Amino acid sequence: MGVLAYQGVSKRFGQHTALDGVSLEVQEGEVFGLLGPNGAGKTTLIRIGLDILRADAGDVSLFGAKPTPPTLDRTAYLPEERGVYRRARVRELLAYLGQLKGMSRAAARDAGERWLERVGLGHVAEQRVESLSKGMTQKVQIAACLMSDPELCVLDEPFSGLDPVNVALVTELIEERRKGGQTTVLSTHMMHQVEALCDRVALIHRGELLVYGRLDEIRQRYSPHEVMVWTAMDLVAMGLCATQRKAGCWRVELPSSATPAGYLNELVRNGVPVDRYEPLIARMDEIFVHLVGGGG
Amino acid sequence: MRIQRIAAVARFEFLSVVKRWSYLLATFGLPLFLAAVSGTVLGVQTYFLSQRASESSQFGLVDEAEVIDRSSFVEKDGELRWRARENADEVRLYASRDAARQDLASGAVRAVYVIEDDYLTTGEVMAIESEKTPLLTMRGTSIEPLLRDLLRKSLIEGRLDGEVHQRVLSPAYFVRSRLGPKGEELVDLDEALDLLVRTTIPLFLGILLLTALLSASGYLVQTVSTDKESKIVEVLLSSVTPEEILAGKLLGLGAAGLIQFAVWSSMVVVVALTASAALAAFVSIPWGALAAAPVLFVLGYLFLGSLMLATAALGANAAESQKLTLGWAVLAILPLMVLVVLLEDPNGILGQAMTWIPFTSPLTVIIRLSVDASGIASWEVLGAMLVLLTSTWLSIRVGARLFRVGFLLTGTMPSFAELWRQAR
Repeated sequence: MGVLAYQGVSKRFGQHTALDGVSLEVQEGEVFGLLGPNGAGKTTLIRIGLDILRADAGDVSLFGAKPTPPTLDRTAYLPEERGVYRRARVRELLAYLGQLKGMSRAAARDAGERWLERVGLGHVAEQRVESLSKGMTQKVQIAACLMSDPELCVLDEPFSGLDPVNVALVTELIEERRKGGQTTVLSTHMMHQVEALCDRVALIHRGELLVYGRLDEIRQRYSPHEVMVWTAMDLVAMGLCATQRKAGCWRVELPSSATPAGYLNELVRNGVPVDRYEPLIARMDEIFVHLVGGGG
Repeated sequence: MRIQRIAAVARFEFLSVVKRWSYLLATFGLPLFLAAVSGTVLGVQTYFLSQRASESSQFGLVDEAEVIDRSSFVEKDGELRWRARENADEVRLYASRDAARQDLASGAVRAVYVIEDDYLTTGEVMAIESEKTPLLTMRGTSIEPLLRDLLRKSLIEGRLDGEVHQRVLSPAYFVRSRLGPKGEELVDLDEALDLLVRTTIPLFLGILLLTALLSASGYLVQTVSTDKESKIVEVLLSSVTPEEILAGKLLGLGAAGLIQFAVWSSMVVVVALTASAALAAFVSIPWGALAAAPVLFVLGYLFLGSLMLATAALGANAAESQKLTLGWAVLAILPLMVLVVLLEDPNGILGQAMTWIPFTSPLTVIIRLSVDASGIASWEVLGAMLVLLTSTWLSIRVGARLFRVGFLLTGTMPSFAELWRQAR
């Protein structure tokens, strides 16, 4: 049983079906990518998982049981629509949010200060939140989310509004969590971050689960049976099934029976000087567009 | 529900409110402001009234019927004058109506009274005012009762023996007493002052209770709107249950409201103690009402507050939340709308009925205890509190469920059927 598991979860809002029989599982210690276009049902799925909303049908389990206040204390959530008490001082806000997660006042204060330093905002502890920039506010919210050291952390679009330096910082924080064996659910539209961080992903569209599984397997599944070959020789003239040439490199469609490794052997056997060789792997944004754009 | 989380929410909400300038100003500034304004108004009024009272007023009297006993008059500057009141009104006796009119026209006298020839048959005394005489001067003057006394005294002079003579002049002196806790107690309180004392304190206490209730509930509406508008709702709900948020907000903001009410009530206590010291036994301080007030405030606040929180959560913004909660406020104000009836007959059917309605009971019980504590039984007060407590428990339960639905709403209002489904 995973850290967070959905079994046949459905949810309707009036006439609109937000989720339709979704089943998936987030495993311990992984970074799980929750993908989908706007309005696909990702936020509803997260809310149901964290017991903010109740499903109309299906089961949800959190740490192997129905979500309860004690199990929810082991989680943290950074919603896409982020909110803060703008009039509060940064230190007060973090201490308050820490206490809501069950930390004592002193522990919440200490953790707040430590995490502010960690995200490079130790100097704004006494400032009011309203005086911070959007990016700084977002880092405060990320600190608030991670300060209770949650076993499961759900981050909805954690990179939006951050500059490249801070994107790298948040990426590093997520990597640290994986190394520490903690689980992270990452909902984002930044597909290169998904490729860089996620172990497994689920793609939801119109309330239905379109794709679910290991990231590398999914990319493999949706990849074309092609390789890129960088060589000065004319592969077509050599009778090989090269289909396209582009600025010194060939895009070669492999025969259905061939494998990339076998094809490389064949090239070498034929005396082709290969400068560089790369099997084509579909990018996540291509898969996303392919599936959501109607191609799937 | 987890006490530690509720305490954290309560503490945060409490500090958020009490640190605001608007709160500090309302809590400590308002009583001072009211005291300053009423002090100034009373001071100015007292000054002008005392000035007016000390002014010497001259009146003219023409005795055509020749019934006035001249022994009360003394001769001064060739005229007969009667000092009707010490250092105040003086009446000049004129031999003719024309002479009196001349002085009236010149402003030497404020008014002329003519006891006409046929007075003994008609009883008519003509009062002539000049154009310069202010409209209210004659109506409000005390000269006419004094003239009436003079006429009475003149008419019976020498015709009745001593005691009867005295009783005709002064037929009754009402010695007032009131049944108090220690039996019958003599009081020497003017009817108007009595009414003032008996209505002012209940009214004042009632308005304070209501203001504090609505003020504290207003903070609740504001905090829910802030949470919704600042989009922090989901963070809160992923950490604590709606019931814990609701309870924390109720307690934190209730504490802020209670402090406000305590400060305001202390003003009533100070006024009551001052009045008590000044008027000795004349004023009955509604100690029962003052003692019950904090309990009624807390219960009334918890009941009204939980309903306000739940309905405020259904609004998309502060303005909408305020509109949605207006109905509860109107229900709470009902006792003030029928205040005249409650003051006149505090223990009548209306007063008794409103004691048992949770919306109206805090204010009604306070008014009944203040006006006539002997008319409301202890079991009625305790019963009203019990009804409030039960209603509060119910409203918190239903309120918390609606709160969860409303708290996450960002678009259109849910249908009544959906709300009902969630609230069950």
